[in-house]
Amino acid sequence: MSDAPGTTVVAGRGAPPAKTALRPAWPPRPRTYLWIAGSVLLLALPFYLDRFWLQAGLFAMAAAIGAIGINMLTGSTGQLSMGHAFFLAVGAYGYCAFAGDGGDELTGLGLPTAVAAVLAVALAGLAGGLFSPIAGRLRGAYLGIATLALIFIGQHVLFNAHDLTGGFNGRDVPPLNILGFRFDDSELVVAAIPFGSAEKLWYAGLVLLAGCALFARGVLRGRPGRAMNVIRDHRIAAGVMGVPVARYRAAAFVLSSMYAGLAGVLLALVFQRTVPDYFGMVLSLEYLAMIVIGGLGSVAGAVVGAAFVSLLPQVLTRYSDALPLVAESGTGGVAPGEAARYLYGAAVVAVVLFLPGGLIRLVTRRTAPPKHPDKPTPGTPGPSGEER
Amino acid sequence: MNAQTRTHRARRSTRAAATALATLLALGAAACSSKATDGDDGGKAGAGGVKTGDGVTDKKIPLGALTDRTGVYATLGKSVTQAQQLYVKQTNAAGGICGRKLSLTVRDHGYDPQKAVAAYTELEPKVLGFAQFIGSPFVASVDGRIRSDKALVIPQAWSADLLGNPYVRVLGSTYDLETINAIDFLLKEKGLKKGDRIGHVYFEGDYGENALAGSRHMAKESGLTVVEQKIKPTDNDMSAQVVALKKAGVKAVVISAGPRQAASLVGVAAASGLKVPVIGNNSAFAPQLLATQAGPALEKMYYVSTPSLPIGDKAEGPSKLAKDYAAAYPKDALDNGVVAGWTAASTFGEALKRACKAKDLTREGVGKALLTMDSYDTGFGAQDFSDPQAPSSTESVIIRPDKGAKGGSSVVREAGTAAEAKDFTPGED
Repeated sequence: MSDAPGTTVVAGRGAPPAKTALRPAWPPRPRTYLWIAGSVLLLALPFYLDRFWLQAGLFAMAAAIGAIGINMLTGSTGQLSMGHAFFLAVGAYGYCAFAGDGGDELTGLGLPTAVAAVLAVALAGLAGGLFSPIAGRLRGAYLGIATLALIFIGQHVLFNAHDLTGGFNGRDVPPLNILGFRFDDSELVVAAIPFGSAEKLWYAGLVLLAGCALFARGVLRGRPGRAMNVIRDHRIAAGVMGVPVARYRAAAFVLSSMYAGLAGVLLALVFQRTVPDYFGMVLSLEYLAMIVIGGLGSVAGAVVGAAFVSLLPQVLTRYSDALPLVAESGTGGVAPGEAARYLYGAAVVAVVLFLPGGLIRLVTRRTAPPKHPDKPTPGTPGPSGEER
Repeated sequence: MNAQTRTHRARRSTRAAATALATLLALGAAACSSKATDGDDGGKAGAGGVKTGDGVTDKKIPLGALTDRTGVYATLGKSVTQAQQLYVKQTNAAGGICGRKLSLTVRDHGYDPQKAVAAYTELEPKVLGFAQFIGSPFVASVDGRIRSDKALVIPQAWSADLLGNPYVRVLGSTYDLETINAIDFLLKEKGLKKGDRIGHVYFEGDYGENALAGSRHMAKESGLTVVEQKIKPTDNDMSAQVVALKKAGVKAVVISAGPRQAASLVGVAAASGLKVPVIGNNSAFAPQLLATQAGPALEKMYYVSTPSLPIGDKAEGPSKLAKDYAAAYPKDALDNGVVAGWTAASTFGEALKRACKAKDLTREGVGKALLTMDSYDTGFGAQDFSDPQAPSSTESVIIRPDKGAKGGSSVVREAGTAAEAKDFTPGED
């Protein structure tokens, strides 16, 4: 179990195979057309979809950024983290504190919002860094238990540090303002379509997600990615090959918390208000569910899983009245909301049962044969699959 | 290597060109999008010369309900929603309002902030207002949008933190007022006197902290000392709190928590000899508690302060609602969630009737109509909606658990406002 993916990873290194170099530039691969069609679709969506769908999409984008982060930690390095929600909260509240102008009697430094967003991500990274002595030493499930503490400490602070967090009912999020362009509800008409905050943030979200995905891809396909995979698959072998295991683990943890911080900033901007209730243990579990459902160890898997986990409940709730099994209220049958929950649960079980490698296997199985040389198999072993 | 770079560059430039072209196409196609502004979003005159808008047509008035059927407030959400569906059914059977039928769209958010905000975003463009919105953190998170959307929202929460938004109207007294009235009851009828200590067990969060603001105010006014015990909603065993309160020598206890905590507190206190009156906020009681082991102790020493008459009262409003509800939902318990849902829906209905009379069934029209309702009686107590900054009532009814009564409770003291509550501004401590 632990040998096979390790070998694949090592085999996948080195110069890209000659096949790619010999391909003529024109016509492009069918995959390129797919990418173009996909990006055009994503760019055009704000012109057609109403706010509900855009907002759902934005939640999914934010979740995808966070999921890419935790996938690098859990999927690629084999380190389980239950504290992801804590770093999301650091990002979200950090942004509010840096950008807030103190008008609502809460601590605010009044910095330009773009600077505040960058600082919030850095702050999440710093929080991850402070935890990294622990993150570097502990492995797998043990780290999971240690990071659990972060959630409880985080929630306690969020509920009680009134001046900073606004307490139970949270605090308002200042809208993003980049060089005078405000991502708020002040109406801007583009091609006869009124652009509110959801439409504007949609593009910001796309840019951030694309940047994060490309960066993560770079990390995972390069030297650090291979080192991380070896740590996951065989810690001792990694050490023998000269990989500084503790440093890599700590670095993966910091990077993953920065991704979480950015996801937190984007979420806060979409919510327009941060409430402490959101950043609980359930959120951490949802992120773990995303990468397991999507596919451990790959960027695309994280994105697909994030879309699945964050969109499905919202869509099911929206169409809950039309779901099967729903009974008229008063008859004692299943209420629409409950039916939506059951269906979501069933979908999760079905994916885990029939697609153990995650949803991403649906795609990779079709487009790329499993023996494709320049494509390391998305990590099969789970966080606990190491070090038997 | 060289060939590869060239390939990449070529591919990248074609991709960029294609993207740019497609974006242009999309911009052009946007003109046929249904989202395009048509410049006609003001109120239109509908049937009967009534100005309509925001989803109201000649046939129907759409309302929304953001409830919790699968989260921590599932029991409350079920009663509130079913009572509101009952109101809609009855109103439509009687011909509707303004010649139009009411329709209630329910969305279950399961006490999840993301789903709650999503549900608000989904329903807001389609409905005239919200007769139900459970979860004050979520109301707070869309507070800014409610202000600009101007849709009336009646939250099923009584925290003073919700006051201040002219479109979010708290129905009944807030928790701080309710607590002041509760302690007033203890002072006047349960022998509590100046210089005594009272215990206050409260939830972390806006409910408990708002109630605490009330007991602190009352303590200052009447020379009492409050012994504070903060708990989390996940704490179910109140033994430690009882020991601490007993040690402090309290003469009475106020509890601002859930029904489970109240039952534990009263049960443990009775068993360990802390025989003092215990009084809770309206959310700290459920009739199901009477069937538990704490039942007899609850009947003996527990009281509840609530903004409206209990469902089991003999007055005309409660007894009719209890009968109708039991007929419509024979399997479900009668609790105060039924009253909360019914009063919210009927308040909304009354505002609609008045708005219809003024020939303005828009959000502004409903808002204006609500401000004229200065002594509207839902059958459960008079409400005054004329001040957008204040809760609609400062009165509380004191009830006690009663196994024999319908809904498990009966009235001990009729609706009234403590003198100390009159000079108290909710939300300021």
